[in-house]
Amino acid sequence: MNGAYSESIPARRGDRADSTPPIPGNMGIWVGIFCVLVEFFLLFLVYFVARSHHPEAFTSGPDKLVTLAGTAITMFLLSSGYCMVKAVDAIRHGNRVVSTRWIVGAILLGFGYPLVKYFEIRWNVAHGIDGEAGIFYTVYYYLTLNHLVHVSWGLMGLIWIAFRTGLGVYTPDNHSGLEAAALYWHTTDVIWLVIFPFFYILR
Amino acid sequence: MIGHSEKVWLLLIGLTLAGAVLGETGHAGWPLTLTVVLLIAIKGGVVIDHYMEMRRADRRFRNVLRLFVTLIPLLVILSHGWGEWIRKLTTIN
Repeated sequence: MNGAYSESIPARRGDRADSTPPIPGNMGIWVGIFCVLVEFFLLFLVYFVARSHHPEAFTSGPDKLVTLAGTAITMFLLSSGYCMVKAVDAIRHGNRVVSTRWIVGAILLGFGYPLVKYFEIRWNVAHGIDGEAGIFYTVYYYLTLNHLVHVSWGLMGLIWIAFRTGLGVYTPDNHSGLEAAALYWHTTDVIWLVIFPFFYILR
Repeated sequence: MIGHSEKVWLLLIGLTLAGAVLGETGHAGWPLTLTVVLLIAIKGGVVIDHYMEMRRADRRFRNVLRLFVTLIPLLVILSHGWGEWIRKLTTIN
């Protein structure tokens, strides 16, 4: 393995002796983040192709979906992300207990997503909107459930990080693992910020 | 007192609510498309720069993330204005 990549990555600007801008988290998480971005970019291409072939379906499709559900998911994810920003900030200031509390807050808010999704899908199915209701809904289920899978991985990561932070594994000088989990979590935000208007707003 | 991260969170929530209201009005066409494009670019950029702290990070990594929230809006514009061209391009005869 290349020595430059195997060395630990400093958590903050100023941790390095030279003036090279820092890379938050660790290299492993960035490989994962870039893979996720490429994966969803390809999935979005499927959305655009399907949209161009069935413009009517994509114009009327959002009318039957519950905009409130998509909005609630967005708010849960953004608020959970805010908690992770505070958690990283707290550990940088040496506040392990405060950081753990913020991570627990991020987890609780994060679980709002699968909860809303569960009720949204129940509502959809009760109103005849299943995976075979039309091309718009097929793409909608494919993309949103795929995103839910990635969020589930993120939630599992946050639970792991909460335990480690609570146990005092991370310090102001060494918390790249906590930063890495936060970065992955924020990446799921970025992707959802694209999915939300695609299925609930755009016509 | 409201700190920087609270301001960023409020901005993101405000833009989300604005988008939701827009979606509920049932509007369609270029004004909606361009608004959505702006919302994706602005919200994505804010998360990347402030939540992920990429504004101070290695530019190569930041540029890849920024490219993602730039290319997608451009594709939204392309699919809205030139959907027929995409359809022809992706039709297998």
